Amino acid sequence: MLKVSRWTITAYLAPMIITIALVSGTPILYTLYLSLTNLTFFNDDYTLRGLGNYQKLFFAADSDLLYVLGQTVLYVVICVGLFLVVGMLTALALNNRKIKGLAFWRVALLVPWAAPSAITALIWKFLFNYDFGPINQIGRVFFGHNFGVPWVTSPWWAFTAVVIVNVWLTYPFFTVVILGALQSVPAELNEAAAVDGANAWQRFLNVTLPLVRPAITPATILSAITTFQMFNTVFLITSGGPTPNPAKPGFTEFVMIYMYNRILGATVANPHYGAIAAFAIMVFIILGALTFFARSLGQQRSRRKEALA
Amino acid sequence: MSDQIMKASTSGEAVSAQVQVAGRAAEREKVVAITLWRRFLSSSMTGLIYLFLAVMTIFALFPIYYVIQASLAGGQNLYTTDLKLLPANPTIDNYIYVLTQLPLLNWIANTFFICSMTTIIGLVFSVSGAYALSRFRLRGREIGLNLLLAIQAFPGLLALTAYYVLLNKLGLLNSLVGLVVIYAGGSLVFGTWNMKGYFDTLPVELEQAALIDGATTTQAFLRVTLPLAAPALAASALFMFIGGWNEYALANLVLNSNATGSNLTFVLGLFALQGDFRTPWGYFAASSVVISVPLILLFLYAQRFFQSGLTIGSVKG
Repeated sequence: MLKVSRWTITAYLAPMIITIALVSGTPILYTLYLSLTNLTFFNDDYTLRGLGNYQKLFFAADSDLLYVLGQTVLYVVICVGLFLVVGMLTALALNNRKIKGLAFWRVALLVPWAAPSAITALIWKFLFNYDFGPINQIGRVFFGHNFGVPWVTSPWWAFTAVVIVNVWLTYPFFTVVILGALQSVPAELNEAAAVDGANAWQRFLNVTLPLVRPAITPATILSAITTFQMFNTVFLITSGGPTPNPAKPGFTEFVMIYMYNRILGATVANPHYGAIAAFAIMVFIILGALTFFARSLGQQRSRRKEALA
Repeated sequence: MSDQIMKASTSGEAVSAQVQVAGRAAEREKVVAITLWRRFLSSSMTGLIYLFLAVMTIFALFPIYYVIQASLAGGQNLYTTDLKLLPANPTIDNYIYVLTQLPLLNWIANTFFICSMTTIIGLVFSVSGAYALSRFRLRGREIGLNLLLAIQAFPGLLALTAYYVLLNKLGLLNSLVGLVVIYAGGSLVFGTWNMKGYFDTLPVELEQAALIDGATTTQAFLRVTLPLAAPALAASALFMFIGGWNEYALANLVLNSNATGSNLTFVLGLFALQGDFRTPWGYFAASSVVISVPLILLFLYAQRFFQSGLTIGSVKG
């Protein structure tokens, strides 16, 4: 610790604190306030209504909360599972000493991470195009002229499409994290296990996996949080659609997209800002809980490390 | 009698020796078979790994490859339902069109302006704040850090209405500066955490030595600590820059397209291009190549530098 005057401390901290208070603090408080009002686009003289918006969110029969959260959680679980599998397989392949040309494979597999994700989302939308997209065109080569997967227009295919794109975008991050962890596993441990008669699968399960898990856990939670609040990739490809049941939100309308569409969506005539703000506060609470959970895991880990050292 | 017994026993020994030899031979054959089997397994395993890597590489590179070849297919060649992986008559017409007829260069300039301003403001504010949090005796440091983390959990998208009201009050609607304000504020929390984590790993004795030698606090910070924190600075800068680079929703909230669309960022511009009744895929492809290929090369070159800066900063996080 350095001893400095109070004035110096203020000078160092003030720009950051004022900017954060203005740009992040006031919007949060304003959203909290809105969530307690009945403000809509046409209702200018709105009043405080207490917890009515929250009550509706949880108990109204036509509340979208469960449906939207359900779709989002399903998306997060499938995506994160695939990140782990694909990231682990690519990392194991790149960690294999018998493989030649590692520099090439490494760079090639990192390209999706390097590309600007908004542009690649739009490129994928092109690839998924029913008539002119190359994915359906490849299908036509094998299955005849009438072949076509209704990416984007059929619910589950649209879901699959945004899963594919997210996996494409994110697996390189996992490859890098897991590869880094794999390279720090001493080769002697695996050799010793091999001498004791463990086969490759047993060695992976009992030697490698426990040693790389501390590196994987934070990455997993982090990507679960970012996938939960995924907007760009999904919105640019499906805009939240398709909507098999008109009374319900769209099939890929995950939390962020749901909120965006309720405020700026083309079909919304009278945005109900109060209700949307209540929804936003609920999402904020969920994300906050996840964030602090992730942090406490990280702290436990570093404490354990310190205890060992 | 005893001779006979001797003979019998020796012949018995001989027999058992023979059996043993035969057994050993069989065992050796088995060992050879197992080794061969293992070798076969491991070489077919290696083959499988190569196959897997090849498939993954195609998966990783196909979108980029396809868009590059599509950008070179002129005119209406893309409006066919048959697969074409190589343009028949490659031409750069699409590139000439997007660079001269579309406001692509304006989009790129706008985005560059927003992202560099965001990065500069975000870096200066977060680095000085993080330094104070890491080095100065402060009351309420833990509470402040937890508050920052809570704010981090609030994605800007949740407050679309609030941002609209805020920028309206500041008179910054429909201006690039308005976006800079939002992005810079949003990037501060991440930047502060990342830089504080890195500062914590640097020994404070270095600055104390500089102070004894007569440097002021600010001199010690700028001349001693900051140069040592270069990897974390680079990592934070890159992430701040990329954050604004890919953003769609807030940009769409703040910026209203003018008649030619020249005041947009490139994500907004390209998305609008796709929204046309009949998407001009050739122009779209050429524009995306102009934007993304230089970035991909830059990123692949830079990633080895920032990886260490990010992990070191976040381990302590």
